[in-house]
Parts: sequence; structure tokens; C-alpha cells
Amino acid sequence: MKVKPRYIKPELMACCGAREIHDHDVVIVGTGFPTMAANIAKHTHAPHCVLMQESGVFDARPRRPALSISDPCLNPGAAMIGGLVDVMGMFLQGGWVDVGFLSGSQVDKFGNINTTAIGDYHRPKSRLPGSGGANPIGSLAKRTLIIALHDTRRLAEKVDFITTPGYISGPGCRETWGLPPDTGPAVIVTNKAVLRFDPQTKEAYLATFHPGHTVEEIVENTPWKLKVADDIHQTVPPTDEELEVLHQVLDPNGLIAVYEKRGYV
Amino acid sequence: MSKVTTMKKAIAQHVHSGDFLYIGGYICRPAFSAIHEIVRQGIKDLTITRSNAADDFDLLIGAGCVTRFVSTFLSLGFYGLGRCFRRAIEQGIPHKLELEEYTNLSLPMMLMAGAMGMPFVPVKDLVGSDLLEVKSFLGDQKYKIIDSPFDGRKTVLVPALNPDVGIIHVQQADPEGNAQIWGIGGDCKYGANASKKVIVSCERVVSREVVGKDPSRTIVPSFKVVAVVEEPFGAHPGYVPGFYDVDFGFGFEYQQASQTEEGFQQFLKEWVFDQKDRTSYLQHFIDRFGYRRYAQLMADFDYSYPVSYEY
Repeated sequence: MKVKPRYIKPELMACCGAREIHDHDVVIVGTGFPTMAANIAKHTHAPHCVLMQESGVFDARPRRPALSISDPCLNPGAAMIGGLVDVMGMFLQGGWVDVGFLSGSQVDKFGNINTTAIGDYHRPKSRLPGSGGANPIGSLAKRTLIIALHDTRRLAEKVDFITTPGYISGPGCRETWGLPPDTGPAVIVTNKAVLRFDPQTKEAYLATFHPGHTVEEIVENTPWKLKVADDIHQTVPPTDEELEVLHQVLDPNGLIAVYEKRGYV
Repeated sequence: MSKVTTMKKAIAQHVHSGDFLYIGGYICRPAFSAIHEIVRQGIKDLTITRSNAADDFDLLIGAGCVTRFVSTFLSLGFYGLGRCFRRAIEQGIPHKLELEEYTNLSLPMMLMAGAMGMPFVPVKDLVGSDLLEVKSFLGDQKYKIIDSPFDGRKTVLVPALNPDVGIIHVQQADPEGNAQIWGIGGDCKYGANASKKVIVSCERVVSREVVGKDPSRTIVPSFKVVAVVEEPFGAHPGYVPGFYDVDFGFGFEYQQASQTEEGFQQFLKEWVFDQKDRTSYLQHFIDRFGYRRYAQLMADFDYSYPVSYEY
């Protein structure tokens, strides 16, 4: 008989995201992982963080997990509802957003994200949705958290198309382009590890490996020469408190398991 | 003067092949019944725009109505990539689609600029990305980078947009076109106001007196509006706050059908060409899925507290 595990990989990843959020942060979220992670933070160590969706919603109180940034459940109970110009213009471009949460079909070592096209832009192998809110969020939020699948196809030395700038081609690039100072990707949470960015080189390095994975395996599945932190250690598994919030409050029906089918195992 | 008319007449009179259309609504209040009528009337060569597009724009593209798209994003959300959108770009089916790509900050700001009569607007995003490297039908008019005349910093300017027609679906409007919404707004207010004329599709036509009881909800004033169409269930399978829920089951049907060109054509026949208007669409929905499923989509009621505007 199969024993139900204490947690599944997407739950661990959501907890990794949650731990990046500080109390009192203003967070802009997409659906799925980002919402789940931000809500775990809110229910544990960061009760004063506030969430918004680019479609125009501030401080929603959904009674079920939202399946899109325009989900009907985001309407009743929110503190404010406007539109894109309010959230993306007044709040994000206005400089008020601390954390942006993005996922990428392809992410490179400088934290650049591609959600536009795989292959040549004009003759794409696969046409993806496009920027939506990703480009402005990655450009203007103080810290960007990135969720990605960890293999040599999804991670890249250089993305096919920079939809959303990370550190572009290295140190100083964001500043040269005139992006706000002290902004940029903070972390890439994958299904195998947590990568952080070297303050000098702006290149992503291995900070922690998830339980069940090894440094060798992770290095092998990363398409650039992945540097390993001096204090490399295992990712802290979800705590009892985090799991209780997830299982009892945020996602009692286990909708997050849908990410297992999408490869987050 | 009442502008109340049918969708058939509103589209026939005000939307022409070759027009530039803003069509509002992302999952919340998509103008689906107007889109079906555009497809039915065989209107072609459209340029369309909106930040965040979903199954509604995917259908319009698949039906061959669209040549150019000022875009930021198109997906079926929970159901993944837009199949018709992908076929158009990857394989030129049913024909080539030209994309001018922006973002969910820059495009709403371009509509805002259009609404305000400004020629262009500075935005802080786009820089450092490949979105500046690709230009389509707008060519060098896609953006300009200047040194700000105020502080000398590099500044990106993007052009104002003024669509020929704006089409929005709202909760309620009066017969002259004062249109009211509540709930997630997207870029609806600026998109409609940037447009040279506006078609208002609504769940219900109400009197001018009802509008006047809560005028802060009005997003488009009557003088911009050329037609008002009462289309209950007009946003289905999207939702309208206070009226009905998003129809995830139907979203899945659309995704399955649109996997193939044949499936998509069959879907168009069943839900667009074989229906003469929104009433027959709704009747067909009930015949096909049962009244129970329709009733399940209907929203619960939890009224907000009335506010007083009196002095």
C-alpha cells in the first residue's frame, strides 16, 4: 500500500517562495504557486504582507484558490478593485511593490525569463502567451521570485527571447537600461533546488537542494556551469505550521497537486 | 435618445472590415456575444487590442477575422496555450497574424493616453527586454527612446491608441449608454474611452434614475456611446460579478474543440453560425447541458450596503 507522503513537491516549492516574503511586504501575485506561497507567508511569519493582482485587485479575500488573476472569487471581500492602470501604473510603476512572483517557461542564469516564444521569434517552435504582466513586474518590483522547472530545456545559459529582464547580460546591465536601482531577481525556486544570485557576477548559483536530490544531479541538470554555495545544505522541508495552513486553510482540496502533472516532481 | 438596439444591428452599423477594435473583458465581462456576432457577419481584416486576451480573442483569430493584434498576452488560463493563436502564428492558419507586442503596463497606459488625448506616454518597463527588438506593423512607431527633457534620463515613450470602435460588456447601462461596472476592471475604462465610438453590451438596461443612484460606477458617459444592447448571459463562458460564474466546463470544451482546426470549425458552427443571436445561444446551452447547469452558474446574492450621495 502506498503511504501518503507528508508533503508533495509543489507544496515544498510554495513554502520556499513563502519564506522569501517579509512581513509588511507589498506583493504582486499571479495564480497558482505565487498566490499559494504568498498566502502561506501571510498565515505564518508575515501576517502584515498584502497581496494584489495586476487585473486591478488589492487585498482579496478569496474563499477558494484563485485559478486566474481575474478569478470571480477575487471580487467579493477585496479592499479595492480598480484596473490595470491602478495596479500596474499607480502601485507597481509608482514604486510601491516589494515582491513580484513569476514563473517562466524558460529561465536563464541571469534570471531573464522567456514567456514569448521557444526557438526563433519569427518562426517559433512553440508560441507562448507573451509578457502579460511579467515584464513590468520583473522590471519594477524590488525583488522578483521565479518559479521554474529544473532541467536543461527549461533552464538555459541564455533564453531564446528576453520577455522579462533579470540581470540581462550581467552586472550593471539593469542600471544601464535605467531600471530602478536595487531591483531584480532574488531567487529561482525549482523542483530540485533553490538558486540565488551572486551579488558580484549576478549569476544564479546553487544555494540549497531539496530533500531527495543531490548536488551532482542538480549540476548535471543545469545547462550552465552552476556554482555551488560554500554553505550548501538541504532545503528545510515544510514545517508543521506551514503544512497545517496549506492543508487546513488554503488548499483543503489539494488543487496544488495539478503541478505534479506539469512536471513539478 | 434611446440607443437600445440589437447586437446584429449594432455590429452591422458600426463595425466594418479593416477597423481597429478595442474589445474589453478578461475572463471578467468578456464581450462574447459581440464577438460571436462579428464572426457571424464575416467581418475581416480587423486590428484588435486588449491587455490579457483569452478564449474570446483566440476564437476571433481562429475564425479568420483578425489580421493584426496589438497584444500583451493570450492564453486559455487554466487550460493552457491558445490553440488558434498558436496555429495562426506557427502555421499561418487560417492566415498570417501580425503581432505588435507590449506589456500589461505599457498597453493600458497607451489606451489611457488615447483616452486623454495625449499623443504618447512614458513607461518604465520594456527596457532591457527583447520586446524592444521586435517590431511589426507599427514599425518605428512602436516606441521611441529619448533623454527626458526634465532630468536627462533615458525614457521610453509609447504611442497613444485610438481604436475605431470600443466594445465592452458591462453589468448595466441606461438607454443612452451611461455604462456601469463593478468588480475587476482590467483596461476596460481606458480602452472604451480611447475609442472613437463605443458599443455597450450589458446584462440589463436600467433607467437613468437607477444610474443616478450610484453614479460613481459609471465608466463610459453616454456621449461616447453609439449603441446599447441588452444581452443577458452575454459574457458566457466568462463571468459577470453579481450575475453568473465563470464556466470552467465550457472552457474545457473549447480547449478540446480548438485542439484541431476541424474541431474548432465544428465548435464555431454549433455555437456561432447555427445560432442567430444570444437568445438562441442561451436556449442551445440549456438544451445541450440542461437548465440545472445554467442555474448553477447563476451568482449568489450578497448585496453591498447602499451608500448615500445626498447632501
